[in-house]
Amino acid sequence: MDFKDGGIMDRRREIMVGLVVVLGIAVGVVGTIWLQDGWGRDRVTIRAASTGVGQLVEGASVKFRGVAVGRVESVAVVPSGEAVLIDMSVRPDLIIPTDAAVLIAPESMFGDWQAEIIRRDDYDTHPYLDYPGEGVLPGVALPDFSRLTATADEIAQNLTTISERFEVAFTEETAQNLGRAIDNLGEVSDRFSEIINQQAERFDALAEGVDASTRELGAAARAARVSFERVDAIVADGQVQKLFADAGAGVENLRNLTETMEASLGDLQTAARQADATFARLDALLVAVQDEDGSLGRLLADPTLAEGALDAVAQMRDLLRDIQQNPRRYLSFSIF
Amino acid sequence: MLDFVVRPFASAGRGTVRILGSVGRAWILFAGTAGALRHPGIWGPQLVPQLARIGVASVPIALFIATFTGIVMSLQASYTLTGTIPLYFVGALVGKTMMLELGPVLTGLTLAGRVGANISAELGTMRVTEQVDALETLAYDPLAYLVVPRVIAGIVMFPIVVLLAMTVGIVSGWLTALQLLDMSSPEFVKGLRLLFEPWDVWFAVIKSVSFGAIVTGVGCFYGLQTERGAEGVGRSATQTVVIASMIILCLDAFWAATLL
Repeated sequence: MDFKDGGIMDRRREIMVGLVVVLGIAVGVVGTIWLQDGWGRDRVTIRAASTGVGQLVEGASVKFRGVAVGRVESVAVVPSGEAVLIDMSVRPDLIIPTDAAVLIAPESMFGDWQAEIIRRDDYDTHPYLDYPGEGVLPGVALPDFSRLTATADEIAQNLTTISERFEVAFTEETAQNLGRAIDNLGEVSDRFSEIINQQAERFDALAEGVDASTRELGAAARAARVSFERVDAIVADGQVQKLFADAGAGVENLRNLTETMEASLGDLQTAARQADATFARLDALLVAVQDEDGSLGRLLADPTLAEGALDAVAQMRDLLRDIQQNPRRYLSFSIF
Repeated sequence: MLDFVVRPFASAGRGTVRILGSVGRAWILFAGTAGALRHPGIWGPQLVPQLARIGVASVPIALFIATFTGIVMSLQASYTLTGTIPLYFVGALVGKTMMLELGPVLTGLTLAGRVGANISAELGTMRVTEQVDALETLAYDPLAYLVVPRVIAGIVMFPIVVLLAMTVGIVSGWLTALQLLDMSSPEFVKGLRLLFEPWDVWFAVIKSVSFGAIVTGVGCFYGLQTERGAEGVGRSATQTVVIASMIILCLDAFWAATLL
């Protein structure tokens, strides 16, 4: 490009210079605005409060349901130091839920953080900061790597302390006691094993007994089945009905026999009482005879008569005995 | 024997004197240039031509370099970031690198060769042909007439050229990502915006302003220090490019240490 002196060339030169300068400035300004994602968009500002913001910085993304809806305009600690206020510019058409909260969390693994507008009920376990002020959304920041590292360091220190205490407590005596405890434990284990074995043998015997019983029960069941089959056959043949009919007749006969026996026993009692009265009179008679009172006595005083009388009495007694021993000979009845 | 022992010390002393002399002359030139600003009637008419020569005429080469720098950056970023890192970081890497480093520095180094050598050769030729002496004879302040418009043009136009170069470099990297890396525009733009801060642009502008002042100032300095005819002109041009490039790199580190 060769610029020569002269009126026309000077004019062209000025135009070119002005064009390049304006173009360069315009490119810088427009590019900056465009890269800030603020080109030609209306924005409304919302505010959230949190106890911390992690790595959230000005210019970070603001998302709603995963969609970028704005950017963080400013992050500032309140003068009292108890909260951080985050101003965010978002699309004006965004409808924010009534129970909205702001969750500040890493956007990726590379250190960039985002502020996400969420429904508080969806993540109600987080310790949101309810900062006083109209329209200030409650916010919470998830722990960043530095806090996680600090926590890990604290855990490591606790482990170190525990290790030191364990080292102090674990002396040689402790080791010996522990060894003995292990030996005892081994012995207990052996005994326990023996008991288990014994119990196992008993269980084996018991199982054998149960097995035998089961077999016997099986045989009994089979026999019962046979019996039931027979009973079933009997029932089927009508023998039971016949048996019941015979039994009924037998009961009837037995009732008749009972009645007969009752009558016979009544007769027998009568006969016994008559015999007893006879014997009483006979005894009186014999007393009189013994006293040789009356004709009989005098008769009996005669040895011949007496001997005849004694023979007669003996025969009577034999007769009564025979009646008692062989009643059928003198009393006959039949059931059927 | 004695000369062998003394010679290194003599060389060191001569070098020190030369360096200190150059520094002193540079400060004299700087002070004289600052003083010459009070003669706008002299440097004013020369400003637009210098803006055109230093700025407008440098745009094509700056954009050419920026274009291929963006392409290479995009390809190398994709090669480096392949794996666990998301590919949209190509956009972040290209944008951040072009704005913070490659745009200003590569443009500065390029213009150190083109503009610095041009100024040094032009003023050196004027010096060896005694045109500078003629200006003084005509009661023209050579600093106001020759140095001030060039330095101002460098300070004004370097940021413009750098902004354009940054933009073209990022766009070329973007197009490369779309065509060669199978990335989508939303991915690249997401990465581009991910780590962007407006301060990055201001950082580039500040650096390029300093580079413009250095390149033009060094060119003027060595041009006006030219001696011994055409050979001296060539030597001045070479020294201008070397020294300006070194100072640019040193300033780059200085600004990174102080401003970031």
